[in-house]
Amino acid sequence: MIKASTERIVRTACTVGDGVCCGLLAHVKDGVLIKVEPADFPDRRFRHICARGLCSVKLVYHPDRLMYPLKRTGKRGEGKCQRISWDEALDTVARNLTAIGEKYGYESIGFATGANSALILIYLRLASALQATWVNIIGFGDAAGPCGEMTSYGVLNGDQHLTDFEHPEMCVLWGANLVETHSLKWRTIRDARERGAKVVVIDPRFTPTASKADEYISIRPGTDGALALGLMNVILEEGLVDQQFVIDHTVGPFLVRSDNGLFLRERDLVPEGSDKYIIWDNATNKPIAFNEQRARPSLVGTYHINDVECKPAFQLLADLVTRYPPHKAAEITEVPPEIIHRLATDYVTLKPTSSYRGGGLQRTFHGDLSCRAISTLAAISGNTKPEEPRSFRLRQGAFIRVKNQYFKPMSLLQMYEAIQNSQPYQVKALWLAEHNLMNQDVDNNRVLNELVPRLDFIVAADMFMTASARYADIVLPVCSFYEHLDLVPPLQGPNKYLQLSQKVIEPVGESKPDVDIVNELAERMGLGEHFSMSAEQYIDLLISSKHPSMAGVTRERLKEGPVELPKYDVSTFSTGSGRFEFYSERMKPYGQELPLYIEPIESSRRPLAKRYPLSYLSTHTKYGNHAVFANESWLRELDPEPMLEMNPADAKQRGIKNGDMVKAFNDRGSVKLKVKIHQGIRPGVVNINQGWLHNQYAAGTHQALTHGVINPAQAAVFEPNSALYDNLVEVMREG
Amino acid sequence: MVKQYGLVIDLERCTGCNTCVVACKLENGLEHGSWVDVKTIGGSYRDTPEGDHPALKMHYLPVLCMHCQQPPCRDACPLDAIVKADDGIVLVDESKCNGCQACLSACPYGVLVYDMGKNKVRKCTLCAHRVREGLDPFCVICCETEAMYFGDIGDRNGSVFNLVDRRRAAVLKPELGTKPSVYYCPTRHGLID
Repeated sequence: MIKASTERIVRTACTVGDGVCCGLLAHVKDGVLIKVEPADFPDRRFRHICARGLCSVKLVYHPDRLMYPLKRTGKRGEGKCQRISWDEALDTVARNLTAIGEKYGYESIGFATGANSALILIYLRLASALQATWVNIIGFGDAAGPCGEMTSYGVLNGDQHLTDFEHPEMCVLWGANLVETHSLKWRTIRDARERGAKVVVIDPRFTPTASKADEYISIRPGTDGALALGLMNVILEEGLVDQQFVIDHTVGPFLVRSDNGLFLRERDLVPEGSDKYIIWDNATNKPIAFNEQRARPSLVGTYHINDVECKPAFQLLADLVTRYPPHKAAEITEVPPEIIHRLATDYVTLKPTSSYRGGGLQRTFHGDLSCRAISTLAAISGNTKPEEPRSFRLRQGAFIRVKNQYFKPMSLLQMYEAIQNSQPYQVKALWLAEHNLMNQDVDNNRVLNELVPRLDFIVAADMFMTASARYADIVLPVCSFYEHLDLVPPLQGPNKYLQLSQKVIEPVGESKPDVDIVNELAERMGLGEHFSMSAEQYIDLLISSKHPSMAGVTRERLKEGPVELPKYDVSTFSTGSGRFEFYSERMKPYGQELPLYIEPIESSRRPLAKRYPLSYLSTHTKYGNHAVFANESWLRELDPEPMLEMNPADAKQRGIKNGDMVKAFNDRGSVKLKVKIHQGIRPGVVNINQGWLHNQYAAGTHQALTHGVINPAQAAVFEPNSALYDNLVEVMREG
Repeated sequence: MVKQYGLVIDLERCTGCNTCVVACKLENGLEHGSWVDVKTIGGSYRDTPEGDHPALKMHYLPVLCMHCQQPPCRDACPLDAIVKADDGIVLVDESKCNGCQACLSACPYGVLVYDMGKNKVRKCTLCAHRVREGLDPFCVICCETEAMYFGDIGDRNGSVFNLVDRRRAAVLKPELGTKPSVYYCPTRHGLID
């Protein structure tokens, strides 16, 4: 049969960037990718695909796909370009990077690149070799959650401590629209619900996820931390705290000095004493160094020890929580007190309860504090799993390091400062890969007017002529994930498999994989000896970590199919204390040692709201993934144009009718688009589903409204986040 | 009992992800439109609810050819271009169809599509080309939430009909007597359309 001789099926893995990492079976006919379908996993629950995954085929053969390297001939942003050869492109890049490195220092070259697969991190290796800067772009909106988890649990993905239950009785989704943004996680919640679990969704928008919940709670944006404090208040007042968990797994019993806010240590009491934490022992009525076996620690009270007033950390938490009785929490969150009471009761009676925190929740200026408050609620109600979540360790150090040297790390928002104000040093050249800065990052007018003109040289490696590519001096066409080999680690739970993204078809046009681009450029910059490995060899290096999670993992096994990473036991938290730290010494300098509530910086209750009364969100949908599918016709058939969502009450006040053209604006910029008026969005809140291209708006862009103010507490613990959901705007009818 | 392939769609599981819509396009090469439409049962726009914030309600309803046991489209076709195959699948014979579209107005479910380029009426084939090779329809394969089940509805002892029974699944517009082969498990609110 002719069909059998020309059609083949290759297993690969999707890396479009949503972190789900689905396994795909790609059908190839006469060298052309014709179709994909979901691939099986040993655990069949992971067999999964979404509309975006199916449409990834359409991106491969998209008529606008970049087919060869380009150099800019017009002004930046105009998109006027000329075709050049790879030799000319890479020679030009090498020449310019060398010139800038020699003139300003190599740290002034910034690689601001994504991290959706293992081998895209080749840019970190190049940055290391050059002693250049690598910009971690997670601060585009996803950094605050990890900041909170780092403080609470000592790991960036600590939220898995809150969700990794086999049979939860309740699932509470805090600002998490998982139906649209992570449907594999949603499936586990759905399965729990089908077994009888209650599902609660807390969100200012009635999302498709909310439509599946047993209870939908509408909340004022950015106040989730206050809600969690309100729930804790009820739990404390009614004596429902899981004291055993607090004693066994949290810093709750440790005494804190009132004079400096630090934990009291043995060395504070005894000359040459140890670092051991001190508790107040109820058995002996004395302060003693903490000893797990015989301690009967007090969680409450005030103790004077060597003339220093001390309280157990739990007492300090209780002091904070006392300020948030249900009526007070209700006043802040605009969630009725009886709902607060009921949810608190559910948290202690429906055990275990899984608490999911969404990406949106942490996109307010103090989003890390919201996450910490939710974690603390889960801890004192006994809904936290002490075992460290499933983890894996690739041999990333060896992959990234060159000559025992690493790149200079920088956060995304600090990069704005570096380019604009030379803080902490100047960045003069930028390389963008898997990153559409000019379309997708905060404060677009600042990016275009303040950052771009200060950059001497911009390289964009992309599949399309994105906004960023239009501002680049050299544009390099890259392969889709179907056109090269890569390694796909399980980026976000619950996936537990390591997969190969296998090469399915030959590169389209003259496009190249990032690994080849970097190898060939490094050769031109005299670094060839460190960049002579193929994708296969880099993968072999990465999986040779000797870490228990990589036991038995080989490229040969990966070629055959996904390899389940063995679960290994880490029975404690990774914090300094080995415990869940709701009280953090490290956050003391920022006044955030406890998960307190701070009003969002641009909320409806700030003075700025007199001019700009509406809270602006820019959420994610099932019809795209950031800007990746903005130009894909099948998804655009379903969701053709950007719309500003507004509640009928807000629309009426402004004389706005469905379908009107409106302008949303603030001091930073504006965007012009059609309005969609409906009850699913809370009064006082407006939303644009983000990811649209500049030319899809009548004017402006969704990111013209947002700011890049750096939160120093987040910068200290991990990376400062873009507070994308903490922006005020006004909306008016326009033409 | 006569063989009647059909689908059971669990509306409580369906999240409106539209993966079936795109899967249909990919499998059947439909550049424009799809033979499945996921309707929002709620507000006036896609993905919006009915009610007043925050007391709101919304669910999704995937609609496709019902592969009726008494298909009104077939009866309306003046050229006998619409046939009901032995396995119960309703198919348009494109070699006979002249694009008159009489079937479009006869179908109470609005699932037939006129392809202007081909001057033919086209519609969901229940992936007959796959089904006859022992594979499930492609939308069923891809369904993100495992909400779609394919099988012989006519087999009262089969797993699919068992699901119909257990979940009190129902068909759309039963009063018309078309006897659809696509069943819907209602939402927890007991809703279908």
